[in-house]
Amino acid sequence: MRLTVISPERAVFDGDVDAVVAPAYDGEVGILPRHAPFMTLLGSGRLTIRSGGETRTVWVEGGFLQVVNDVVRVVAEHAREETDHAS
Amino acid sequence: MAQTQDLRRRIKSVENTRQITKTMEMVATSKLKRARQRVVAARPYAEALAEVLADLHGAELVEQFPLLRQPQSLRRVAVIAITSNRGLCGSFNANLIRETRDRIAELEDAGTAVELHQIGRKGIAYFRFTGRAMASARPDIGDRPTPEQADELVTPLMERFAAGELDAVEVVFARFVSPLSTPATLLPVLPIRPPTRGGKDGRMEGRKQRSNVPSARHSTANYILRPSAKDLLSAILPLYVRNQLFRALVETAASEQGARRTAMKSATDNAGEMIDTLRRTYNRARQAQITQEIAEIVGGAEAQAG
Repeated sequence: MRLTVISPERAVFDGDVDAVVAPAYDGEVGILPRHAPFMTLLGSGRLTIRSGGETRTVWVEGGFLQVVNDVVRVVAEHAREETDHAS
Repeated sequence: MAQTQDLRRRIKSVENTRQITKTMEMVATSKLKRARQRVVAARPYAEALAEVLADLHGAELVEQFPLLRQPQSLRRVAVIAITSNRGLCGSFNANLIRETRDRIAELEDAGTAVELHQIGRKGIAYFRFTGRAMASARPDIGDRPTPEQADELVTPLMERFAAGELDAVEVVFARFVSPLSTPATLLPVLPIRPPTRGGKDGRMEGRKQRSNVPSARHSTANYILRPSAKDLLSAILPLYVRNQLFRALVETAASEQGARRTAMKSATDNAGEMIDTLRRTYNRARQAQITQEIAEIVGGAEAQAG
């Protein structure tokens, strides 16, 4: 499953992942591979990305999330990768 | 004697100028490189927004959104004009100001009230000089515009458009086609003309470097939408408007550096030519002087011998 996280300034993340947990406007949503086409608004919070054994988090706020054809697109108004000591 | 002295002084002075313009050219080149990266980096977001809007947008929804309202007549229009803060970039600012002035004249001739929101010291100085009132003036947006600055500028206008106070919002900016081509461009921001499917949304078709983010084309009908399409649209439309302005700012910043590099390169070239000509004249004058001195010595010696 391909994931791209995009902010107005740049693409923050782009790569293959196993699972994504995103902060939607009304609570968290988990996306696994082969998810149905889906679109929702984002709230603010941590976007958790799992690929292989690794977990990364990106702070996102605003924007939306879209899933189509096994491609997840997180288009956030604000997005920045969290540094290790912060998480 | 006096002439050679003068020439030497002028050569020195032009050489100094060339040194300065050459340095400015190099500075502009490196700033251009970074500004250009920012233009490219901002592309995926704009493309994603345009695609999603094209997907969600349907005729039956148009009437429900104040931002999509198509006014019958233009009573009051806000023009956001972008210029740079600094000069020495050729006709860059002059072109932008002319485009703005022409557009304002065109609107006012048609009986429309125009409020001018000016960004950049050069434009502010010009309109202050001509005595035109500006609704707002922002000299504080620099080489690296942020999305937050774009929000500050356009959000109040968006609210007033939605409330019916404004009938249109337009932006004059320098489109970044290439470092050598930065035409002043008028971009209507509001009412939103939704991008249609197929990526043709006026200006955002990825020109040379298409982003490698996979395109996610799919029809709206098969989406699970949460909340409804209507709520999604009302959240995403303002994002689109803000992003239009953000991109205009980023592109203008890159265009400015491109224009400056070009201007400084031709200034450096011209200085070089000038130095060549001056040096030729100087050498000729020096030679003439030596010839004359020899003639004088020979003449004097002959007089002695005679």
